[in-house]
Amino acid sequence: MRRALATLGPPLAVVAAALLAWQGAVSVLRPPEYLVPGPIAITRAFLDDAGRLTSAMLRTGLAAAAGFALAALAGVTLGSLLAASRFLRRGVYPLASLLQMVPLVALAPILVIWFGYGGRATVASAALVALFPVLANTLDGLRSVDPGLLEMFDLYRASRSDRFWKLGLPWATPAIVTGLRVAAGLAVIGAVVGEFVSGFAGERAPLGIVILAALREARTDLVFAAVGLSAAVGFLLFGAVSAGGWLALRRWHASASRP
Amino acid sequence: MRHLLLAAALLLPACQNRPAGVDRLRLQLDWVPEPEFGGIYAALERGFFREERLEVEVVKGGAGVATPQLVASGQVELGVMAAEQLLAARARGGPLVAVFAAFQTNPLAVMVHAGHPARSLEEVWRGTGPVAVEPGQSFVRFLSRRYGTTPRLVPYQGALATFQADPGLAQQCFVSAEPVQMELSGVPVRVFTVAEGGFDPYNGVVATSERVLSERGDAVRRFVRALRRGWEAYLAEPAAYNPAIARLNPAMPLEAMNLAATRLRPLVESAATRRSGLGAMEARRWEELSAQLVELGVLSRPADVGRLFVNP
Repeated sequence: MRRALATLGPPLAVVAAALLAWQGAVSVLRPPEYLVPGPIAITRAFLDDAGRLTSAMLRTGLAAAAGFALAALAGVTLGSLLAASRFLRRGVYPLASLLQMVPLVALAPILVIWFGYGGRATVASAALVALFPVLANTLDGLRSVDPGLLEMFDLYRASRSDRFWKLGLPWATPAIVTGLRVAAGLAVIGAVVGEFVSGFAGERAPLGIVILAALREARTDLVFAAVGLSAAVGFLLFGAVSAGGWLALRRWHASASRP
Repeated sequence: MRHLLLAAALLLPACQNRPAGVDRLRLQLDWVPEPEFGGIYAALERGFFREERLEVEVVKGGAGVATPQLVASGQVELGVMAAEQLLAARARGGPLVAVFAAFQTNPLAVMVHAGHPARSLEEVWRGTGPVAVEPGQSFVRFLSRRYGTTPRLVPYQGALATFQADPGLAQQCFVSAEPVQMELSGVPVRVFTVAEGGFDPYNGVVATSERVLSERGDAVRRFVRALRRGWEAYLAEPAAYNPAIARLNPAMPLEAMNLAATRLRPLVESAATRRSGLGAMEARRWEELSAQLVELGVLSRPADVGRLFVNP
């Protein structure tokens, strides 16, 4: 209980103070609604439309999670292949690093042409931005295995597969978890950008479309509510990854066992 | 010495030999340069703004640019928008005033491939195929209410590649822009206007803020005078000004712009403009729109029509 308070206390206090200061400033300065809504107005906008916004959040969350899962699977697999082969590493890695330099906004309309409107293009967009950090961290983790341990595996004539499953992968896990954490946040951004060009509007609108529509109707309160919800999706995904990483590492790795 | 240099550097832009009494105005477009802004570019080319002692900087737009918010917050002095956007912004505390309505008839339409089964807007709406629209367009709400159903709506971002690639897709357009480009690229289309569907607000509305109007009213009046002459010049001879627009928008060929210009003349002229000049607005049109938006739930109460437009 005390540990939970010590962990959650400081961020909650900062958030509460920021919200109070924000509402205070809005109440005193009274900027027009379309410019800066306060936390109370944003909460009201959320409550007025709670059903639609919650299902929008669910839709965006599922797409981000699916994109993240794909990126995690592909990132770890590709990273492992690259670690195993110098040829692949030299040939593929520079191309893979291009992934994070391509402006997603420019690529998103192409994703629609390839995958069609709706969820698939959104998932692809999320996966695309989330892939590189997983790949890069997997590769780095596998390439930094302690040479002493490698020599020991040589000594016992360990097989290639033992070397990977019993030494490389465990050694790389902390790095992979770091990559996954970065990817979790990026996946949500990728999903929302994907929705800008591929999401269904109307009753089935995901958060990206809610944001665009609200902007056109000068509903800044609704824009903020939807942006808040997409941040919440990112936070949940990040939390889930961190919890998974902790479960995987707590028994043996310093990064998870130190307070 | 360093301080002097610094002071000189700071002062220099302020006194870049701009003749005394010239007003600088920034005009934000809500789309990329196309013939729908023909009057603006004609006024620039012919120097009508300069003759009115105005230095007008035209800022390009695109899908999703929040023109009403940019004008209301003072980032720019003037902006082009749809009439319903002006009402929505006013309802949220953005004090905008319309000063010129280029399109007297709403140029918004929905286009489909010639092979598409729909023969009317209603059939598009009741169909099963996707319809690409800018999220938040009021006409979508209007039609969905009118026909009692909503089609599968997908976002339109201004790129035509998606439409070309998908014969089942219907999409939002300006009658004077996208359909013309499709025809010239050999993709036959059918066009259903939203005005015929019953939603016919002003479009291409140039608006300013109450503040700019009260502090720089004279500059705004001179701007509107020059803009009206610009539109007259453009309608008389669009081909003379389209090259200037085409240079700013490589995505729309000059040939398409010339064809587009012939299509927008009937939308820019109306009984009201023949009486009071191009761009002139009537209160009843704003009242009709306000009532429609209240019915659609975009506005919670009718707008104060007396204050939201002027015919300077």
